[in-house]
Order: sequence, then C-alpha cells, then structure tokens
Amino acid sequence: MQIFRQNQHGSHYDRSSSPINIKGMQDSKPDISEETLRHWLVAVANHRDKSAFRALFDHFGPKVRSFGMSRLAQQGLAMDLVQETLTTVWTKAHLFDTDRGNVSTWVYAIMRNQCFDMLRRVQHNREDAFGDDIWPLFDVDTHAGDHGDHKLDALLNQYLSKLPKLQREVVLGIYLQELSQQELADRLGVPLGTIKSRLRLGLEKLKSLLEKHHD
Amino acid sequence: MIKHHPSDEMLLAHAAGETVLGLAIALSAHCELCPACAAKVEHFQHKLAMHHLPLPDQTSEAARSGAISESVSKGSVDQSGVASGDSAWNSSWDSSWESQDNSLDSLFDAITATPAASAVETSAHDCSTVSLATEVKGFSYSLPKAFRSFVANPALASSWSGIGHVSRMRLDTRDGKARSSLLHIAAGGEIPEHTHKGQEITLLLHGHFSDEMGDYAPGDFMVTDARHQHTPKTLDGCLCFTVVDAPLHFTKGLSKLLNPIGELIY
Repeated sequence: MQIFRQNQHGSHYDRSSSPINIKGMQDSKPDISEETLRHWLVAVANHRDKSAFRALFDHFGPKVRSFGMSRLAQQGLAMDLVQETLTTVWTKAHLFDTDRGNVSTWVYAIMRNQCFDMLRRVQHNREDAFGDDIWPLFDVDTHAGDHGDHKLDALLNQYLSKLPKLQREVVLGIYLQELSQQELADRLGVPLGTIKSRLRLGLEKLKSLLEKHHD
Repeated sequence: MIKHHPSDEMLLAHAAGETVLGLAIALSAHCELCPACAAKVEHFQHKLAMHHLPLPDQTSEAARSGAISESVSKGSVDQSGVASGDSAWNSSWDSSWESQDNSLDSLFDAITATPAASAVETSAHDCSTVSLATEVKGFSYSLPKAFRSFVANPALASSWSGIGHVSRMRLDTRDGKARSSLLHIAAGGEIPEHTHKGQEITLLLHGHFSDEMGDYAPGDFMVTDARHQHTPKTLDGCLCFTVVDAPLHFTKGLSKLLNPIGELIY
C-alpha cells in the first residue's frame, strides 16, 4: 500500500508526562466533555462569544499543534495549522449542525483537510486546496436525503443560487440555519423590517422559478 | 448494486488524510456512491478525532488500547483497535503550549478579528456540486464532488482526447509516479488484454463493463496489479476514474504495439 501514502515525516518528540492543564478553565470546569465543547461552540455561533472561543482555542490548540508537528515536522507550519483550523472554527461555527455532529470530529475534519492541503503545498509549492472538496465539512446532501426528496432539494439549491445575494442570505438563514428573523437581523445588522421584505421577495422569486420549470 | 469496495485499511488511511490525492479523490467519490463505506469513513474519522483531539477523561482509556499506526500496518482495523492514543504525548504538548502565552494571545486576537463566514458563500460552494458534469462524445456525465476543483479547470485537467472508443482526461494531481485520469469507453469498446506493472485503482462512475473476472456496476471500486490480466469491455459505454502507478503493459499479439502509447490511454 506504500504507493498510496503521501510522504510522512517521522516524529520523535519528547513524550514525558505532565498533568493536563486547561488554561483559564481550572476554576469552573476541570473536566471537558463533548457537552462542554458543544456549549462553547454554540456560544461562538450565536454570540461570537470570545471567552467561549478562548476555551475552545486552549482545548484544541495544543492538540492541533501536536498533530501538525507529527505531520508537517516544522514548528512554524504546525502553528499555521493551528491558525487555519481555529480560524475556520471561529468563522464557521454557526454553519455547523450541533444537533447532528460531534464537535471534536468536526474540528478533526477541518484540521485533516487543512493539513492535507498544507502537506501538498510544502511538497509541490502550489496553492491549490482540495481537502474540502474531498471531505466536505458541511454535507447538505445528507440533510436532503433525510428529508426524502433529494431531487427537489437539489433543484431548490439550484434556484437558490439564482436569487440576489441579500435575499438568498436571508432565505438560507431562516430555512437552512433555522435562525429567527430577529437573530438574522441582529447578525446582519439590518432592521427587522428589511429581513421581512428580503424574505418575502426571495420566496416570491423562488416560487416563480419553481412554477416556471414545473409546468 | 456495488459489489467491490475499498479495504478497511484504505478507508482508514482516507479518513486520516494519508493517501495521495488521486486515491483520495477515488475514495471520496466511491463514498459518495456507497453509503456503507461512507459510514465506515465517518466512524474512522470519529475514532481518529478521539485519538488526536482527546477529551481529558478519554486519554487514560485511549492509552490502554493499541497504537493506531500499529492497527493500520497490521491491516487489522476494527471498531476497538482504532481508538488509541498516548496521553503523555498530548499533555506534554499542552504544557509547552502554556509557555508561549504572548504569541498565543496575538494569534487569538488575529483569529477573533476575522468576520464570520456568510452562509451564502458556504452554501453556494455546496450548491455548485449539483451541476458538476463533464461532456465527452456527446454525453454529459455528472461527477462526484471530489472532482470539483479539476473539472473545467484547464490548469488542473486536460481536455478529453483519445483514440477509437477510448477517451481520457488526465488530472494533474502531482502524485509522483501515480497518474489519475477519467476514462471514457464508448459503447461496444474494449481495452486490449493487458496486465499492470504496478497497482491500478478503477472506480466505475457511470455505465457498466465486464472482464474475465466479472461484471461491474457504477460505484464499484477495483484494485488490480501485476497478478491480474484482463480485457475490460463495455456494451453500453462507461465512465471510470483510474489511478495507476505505472503505465499499462499490454501482453497480447498486435496490441503489444500499443505499449508505447499505453501512457496515452491511461
């Protein structure tokens, strides 16, 4: 199976033991469970909560760096991996479905995809990114399958892409992310009335697209 | 009905992101067509996550089971064997993480200064998979997501070209010796009997073909090597994705003449 493997660098780092110490969390939460991680991620998703993100940062950061050291074998690259991975966690937390997915597994997938691309970049000096195509981080198809009408969902997706950006943003926020109109107004920094009218216009346009193609 | 699947060893290497790009594309595409293998990869991914990103209460449990690389090299990957870890490994890194607080704070500030990604960008990225397709010999074939960056990007994929029934699109995966291509065989076409110098992965994406060993349906994932000698032919035409680590070696009669152009076909 050798030919299939990307070149891997050996890793021989100090494995001496020391107690686990989660910075800033000693007082309130000595133990971190999947539940705790989920709680932090939701706080980041809904409120851009920096202290919750700091907790995620301190939990995942050293582990991502250690993974990066073993794969990329350079301190600088390992820290790049930390930055890229945690930036994605910060910027896409609200797109992750906390009801379905496991937080650690999601962060692992982000890290693995990023590392795959970084390793190729080191070897080939090219800026292509393939990881997220090969292992999609947000699987809309799975969701569509669960609702039983894959074809219609695919069609809807196609029509959604024809909506003007502002309307699409609102329609997706309400129906895909299941945000309330007020939450969406707060997040986009526009009045509630604007959300309502963008939603109405967006849905009318979708309806006309569907009617046009189904007759 | 998919009858041929990648080995668990390959699926685990895929979940770990440890294969070359061409094989990663083949495995991702197979999983898009095969829910059973997709579930396995998801399972492995979870086990790997627990290994590399353990929760504090998992490290002791993880340390008891065997090392992940061992279970891979033995090819004996099972449900329990994958969950492994080295608690000392992670905790020693946790402590050196602590010692560089200043640079960590500036990294933290840089990250949190980044605005949230809009739902639109991400969804648009996913929506575009709906219409991902390639056209060859007047037929349009939909393609799995893994091909998104390649198809319709002349810098990464050649255009379709070929001789007779066989057309090929080469993907520039930069995987050293391994070459990746989409291969189209028109209805009634066959590839002269040949064996393989190295290993060859074939993923059937559309249509059917058969050889001396059996019939294949869309989603089937085959591994062949020097021990196999076959003459694939297709009645209804087919589209495959292939990864080979050496050019095909033709074995029979006149088709030996094809050896110099074996590289052209695959």
